[in-house]
Amino acid sequence: MKIKKSNVSILLFVLIGVVPFAAAFIYALLYSFGVIGVANNGFTLQFWESVLASGIFFKSFLYSFIIALTAVTISVGGALWITLKFKKQLEKRFLSFIIYLPLAIPGVVTGFFTLQLFSKGGFFARISHKFGLITKASEFPDLVNDGLAFGILLSFVTMVMPFFVLLFLNVYKNERVEELSVLAQSLGANPNQIALRVFLPILIKKTWVLIVLYFIFLLGAYEVPLILGQESPQMLSVLIIQEIKQYDLDKISEGYVVAVLYTLIVSAAAIVLFLPKRKSAYAN
Amino acid sequence: MFLEVQHIVKSFGEEKVVKDLNFSLESKQTLSILGKSGCGKTTMLKTIGGLVASDSGKILLNGEDITETKPEKRNIVYLYQEDLLFPHLNAFENIAFGLRLKKIPEGLIKEEVNHMLQSLELEGQADKMPTELSGGQRQRVSFGRAISTNPSLLLLDEPFGSLDTGTRQRMQELFKKLTAEYKITSLFVTHDLKEAVLMGDQIGFMHDGILKVYEDKKDFIQDPETGVQNEIDFWGGLI
Repeated sequence: MKIKKSNVSILLFVLIGVVPFAAAFIYALLYSFGVIGVANNGFTLQFWESVLASGIFFKSFLYSFIIALTAVTISVGGALWITLKFKKQLEKRFLSFIIYLPLAIPGVVTGFFTLQLFSKGGFFARISHKFGLITKASEFPDLVNDGLAFGILLSFVTMVMPFFVLLFLNVYKNERVEELSVLAQSLGANPNQIALRVFLPILIKKTWVLIVLYFIFLLGAYEVPLILGQESPQMLSVLIIQEIKQYDLDKISEGYVVAVLYTLIVSAAAIVLFLPKRKSAYAN
Repeated sequence: MFLEVQHIVKSFGEEKVVKDLNFSLESKQTLSILGKSGCGKTTMLKTIGGLVASDSGKILLNGEDITETKPEKRNIVYLYQEDLLFPHLNAFENIAFGLRLKKIPEGLIKEEVNHMLQSLELEGQADKMPTELSGGQRQRVSFGRAISTNPSLLLLDEPFGSLDTGTRQRMQELFKKLTAEYKITSLFVTHDLKEAVLMGDQIGFMHDGILKVYEDKKDFIQDPETGVQNEIDFWGGLI
């Protein structure tokens, strides 16, 4: 019997995309309820109760949410401004190369760069000392492993903003925003009205799916918060890995509880956000 | 005269694209301008619309010098060759675009846009996005959007160039009907001989950056440069 090409594609998608994810999720779920695990003795709600009662998950989730939202907002806002103001200059070969460059640098390297530049013993602290702005390292402001997550935000923005600049430039060209702006001007729109009624809605509506996906990606980012984050609260991925790798065996199950909760929230958000808009990127 | 264009010159680098442009047009009239690709028609329209700055010369609209006026303040609408609609707005909102800029009350916008949709024979299409409309429908929405702002002058740059013969003919008829209904003054650029004769109250021929406006259609037909005689000879030879 001849197997249809589309059936093979679906089978491959299920095998590569669905099965490993589903298996990992089921494993985490069973671990979180104590069904599996070295020190576990069968089904229990103890680990869930412990995580929910301590509030550690919600604190970490809120912290991660605020950092990811701030980083995406700064990146998208900055990229929109750069696209609007410098689109002609960015068409030049050298500048477009400069934008591509940060995309080739892995997150872990960006994290270390930020640490080397902004830590109390880093490049800017030494420069400040040389110029007499500080007399000892402790006088340099906390810019990494700090409460306001300055280092994490800076690294995220450095990593994400160039991607959005390239994306917006591409959409600007493909959606003929230049011609539409001229048309709007001809219909009586001033530069502010063109930006608000043509430029922004077209670019945002065409790219909002990617913006949301990047937000989810940053929400679960690991290397950068691991290098630049503070002790508490931690971003979610760092918290999960730390819990899972603890010597206290009960903590492993609690780590899986956090992982399951995070997966459920992100999946639910993705379903709510993406399902009604699947028909068209411009559908109202 | 409603529109007076005096000694307009426009160059891009060394190349002189529009050379000493001189013509005038009465109110509520259409001047159709025939010319081959690259003869400077689009640059001429964009210069009049203020979208391209002229090197020298003067443009008077209803007696007022608008040469230095910003494009958004001229009340001149330039219509692209293609049916360029705002992709994030439906048909209704595309037509309402110019009206919303003028901050007209919502009730009046609804009334005017619905009337326009009816005039354009687009009833029932108001909620459709540009991708859900046919080429002819998109071009009609584009027209409606331009006319709804009640422009002093409408500049049409080969507006039916991308349409099939049947749709093009229906659009020509619709354009004639709408310009009469809304009392529109317009410059209609085309490279189609028949369309130029059909659409214009006056006819001009543009060649290598120079525009010649004819006294009447007879002069236009008799001028060997326009190619009308060649067409007549060709079709006559087939009979």
